[in-house]
This record gives sequence, C-alpha cells and structure tokens, in this order.
Amino acid sequence: MRTPLYHEHEKLNAKIVDFHGWEMPVWYTGIREEHLATRNSAGIFDASHMGEIWVSGKECVPFLERVLTRNIAAMPKHRVLYGFFLNERGGIIDDLTIYCVEPGERYMLCVNASNTPRDLDWMNVQNREGAVIEDRSPETSLIALQGPDAGGIMKAVLGLDLDTLKSFTFTILATRDYGDIMISKTGYTGAGGTEIFLPAAKASGLWSSLVEQGAAPCGLGARDTLRLEMGYPLHGNDIDETTTPLEAGLSFAVNLEKPSFIGREALKEQSSSGVSRRLRGLVLRDRGVPRQGCICVKGSEQVGVVTSGSVSPVLGTGIALAYLDKSVGEKDEVEVIVREKHLRASVTRPPFVRGTAHT
Amino acid sequence: MEIPKELYYTQDHEWGSVEDGMMRVGITDYAQHELGDIVFVEFPEVGTVIAKGDPIGTVESVKAVSEVYAPVDGEIVEINEALADTPELVNQDCYGSAWMVVLKISDPSQVDALMDAQAYRAYVEAEAK
Repeated sequence: MRTPLYHEHEKLNAKIVDFHGWEMPVWYTGIREEHLATRNSAGIFDASHMGEIWVSGKECVPFLERVLTRNIAAMPKHRVLYGFFLNERGGIIDDLTIYCVEPGERYMLCVNASNTPRDLDWMNVQNREGAVIEDRSPETSLIALQGPDAGGIMKAVLGLDLDTLKSFTFTILATRDYGDIMISKTGYTGAGGTEIFLPAAKASGLWSSLVEQGAAPCGLGARDTLRLEMGYPLHGNDIDETTTPLEAGLSFAVNLEKPSFIGREALKEQSSSGVSRRLRGLVLRDRGVPRQGCICVKGSEQVGVVTSGSVSPVLGTGIALAYLDKSVGEKDEVEVIVREKHLRASVTRPPFVRGTAHT
Repeated sequence: MEIPKELYYTQDHEWGSVEDGMMRVGITDYAQHELGDIVFVEFPEVGTVIAKGDPIGTVESVKAVSEVYAPVDGEIVEINEALADTPELVNQDCYGSAWMVVLKISDPSQVDALMDAQAYRAYVEAEAK
C-alpha cells in the first residue's frame, strides 16, 4: 500500500521500506540529521498510513465510553485525548487519540496503521449500541509538522497562529487550497508542533508548501528515535495485548473511576494487587546499541527484556524501554545483554531528553 | 556512488587495499549508504586469526546490525580504535579515515579472486535492480 504522498517521497529520493504492508520512507538524508532537524527547527512526517475512524450517531457516546479508557462524555468540543482499546484482561488492543468533533455527536479516532483493520472489526463486534462507525482512512491524509519552527511555517503557509491552540486541542480550518483541514496540537516527537488531517487529494500540495517553507522531510526512522527519546510507547513493541496500561506506566490515560469499560475489572484487580513488572527507561553506560528482545539481568538473575532500543541522537548513548521486574526501581543498575556482552545500564524515568511538547 | 579504482571488492561490500602483504579493509560507499547513520562499531582483538568470510567486525546503524567479513584469510594486526568514539566517520570517509582493520594476508592468491572496481560497479548495479 502507498500513501497519497508516495510520489513526494520518491521525488526526494527517500529510502523506502515495508512497514506492515505500507511502502514508507525510512529516511531521506539520514535518521540523525532528520532527528536533529525536528528537535532544533522543524521536521515534516507523512503519517497518512495511520487510521482515521469516525464514530457518530446518538448512541456514539455510550459506545465509546464502553470501548475506551477515557471519559468521553466530559470531553469539550475540539479536545484531544490519548487512550486505549483494551481486551477483557486489560491488555492493549491499540493506543489511539480521540478527537471530539461535536460533543455527543461526532468523534474521530486516530489509530495505528497496522491495527486499523483489526480495530474496525473489534469495534463492529462490540457495537451493540448501534453507533455509526466509518473508516475514513483511505480519503484522509495525516501530515505531522514537528519542532520549534513549526509555528512560523504554519503561519507562512496557512496564516494560522499555532500559539492560539492549546496542547491537546484542535481546530478545523476551511482553506481554499487544501479543503477542510483539522489542525491538532499533538505529536509523537516531544518537539512540539502540530498534526494536520486533510483530504488525501490535497496532501501533496500542503506537503510541498510546508517543505518549501523549510520543514525537513523526516522518515519513520527519525519518527522512531524521536518518540523513543521521549519514552513514548510504540504499539507492537512496547505495548500490546499482553501488556496493560498500568504495567506500561500509562495509567494517566485510564479512568478507573468510570463505572464500566472493557478491561476495567482486570485493571482494578491489577491496581489493587500491584503490577509484577513495569516499563522503564534504560540509559546505557557502556558503548552499544540495545535492541528489542535483549535480556536484562541483575547479577545472575534475569529481571527483564528490552522492547525498544536505539542510540539517542541527542545524547549519543544507547537508550531503551524495557519491562523490568518490580524489584528493580528507578536509579537501579542492570545489565543488558547485547550479542553476549553485558552492558551496564541505569534505570531511569523517561523522557531521556527534554522535550518542548508542553510549552 | 564512489568506487575507487585502485581497491579490491567483495560481494559483501567490503573494500581492501593491499600493500606489503597487508590488506587494509573497510566497507564501501554503497554499504555505508544502505546502512544509514552508523552509531556503533566493534572489532575482534589484534592477533585474531581469521578465515576468508569470517566476521572481522560489527557495524550498527540506527536501524540495522551488519557484520563485516574478511575478504581473505589472515591475522588481524591492527584495528581502527578511533572508530569507537567516532563511528559516524564510516558515513563520512569510508575509504579513508574510516578503514576498519588491517589483515596480514596468509594466501596472496586469494587477493586475485576479489573483484576490481569495474566488476564491483557492475555487481552493485545488478544488486540494486
């Protein structure tokens, strides 16, 4: 599958890789350069492979309340929340962002690309309330413009002052050149900026204008190192149906006070009995690159496993997310086994670098 | 893509330059470009005796781990210590300061079996298709 921006990536000589069936750019000039461009100025990412599922109808709120971990009824217009679809065991079917387009009437869910078909199936099976569920992924593109210079570029291209938008809110703009676009003050890099949903047919035009104003095209490689530096989990790596939000340290996105939602009972129980493992950050003190699947030990005892790892372009050292036994706490030391070598690592609380997302 | 005329090449994208029975080995421009930003390199110890095709180094980019293989039989007599601190040199100067190891060649006839620049260019172009 290809996004509507595929030809832009080709024009830019991107290195294209298969990402869950999508032909996506992994880098254009280089992961490090793109990563630093996003941290220091502005990067632009094609995230059109992500899924956009619209839920509407008068029964949409009771339905969403039951399948999501957040308090949907309380969302004001144009608010964005991060939340989960959980299974009965509290495992994470998907993590997503919820957009309140019209309170009580219409919501958009932005879900992981590779999970979209499964999410849709699951939602339809769960939908006993009769909410209207619509997959608008094919006709919707998503461009992320991230970094400290995103505001200036948005002003130049769309005449919009991003500073007027609060973090985790969005606005809908009717434009002559790009149709109706949704501009959201969110991101997956920690560098600040915006995510823009727009009609697929208009994506190339907006992409080109943003690049012309100085946004550096960034591939999935930089997207991954940027999110890892912030400790943001990636579904399929750090979280999945066998891990719960409590284990992953994401309880802020679960409202256990809600009377009922799928997975609540399991999480309640886990919350009172305590988790046996926690997703934690590791900063390597020895040279090396921790990778997914690397075992963590303390003395002769295995205490965990790495779920995401790389070298931080900002720090220049190996960093990782790993599930560690509850006996291991922050500031403890463990060893990560990388190709039979034991590398020393400090346990930390991410982010690994300071972001600007909440300023 | 840069492929210096005076070097020997392998199908695994190593280059070798021969002088006084020694071969200096590195990875090619094509290889560094395919790997992307190199963030870590590691070599066996000096004195290690290896056979043609054995790993003589590990190169890691942000996204991938790759082995560097010996173009010929030999003994590792020198490794490029500087690359440990500056692995990015592999992206910047793969044929120069980012050489990786020096081998003392055991069997000079193996050198003749390696590709020259012209053959390597044809090989890479075929592989890229």
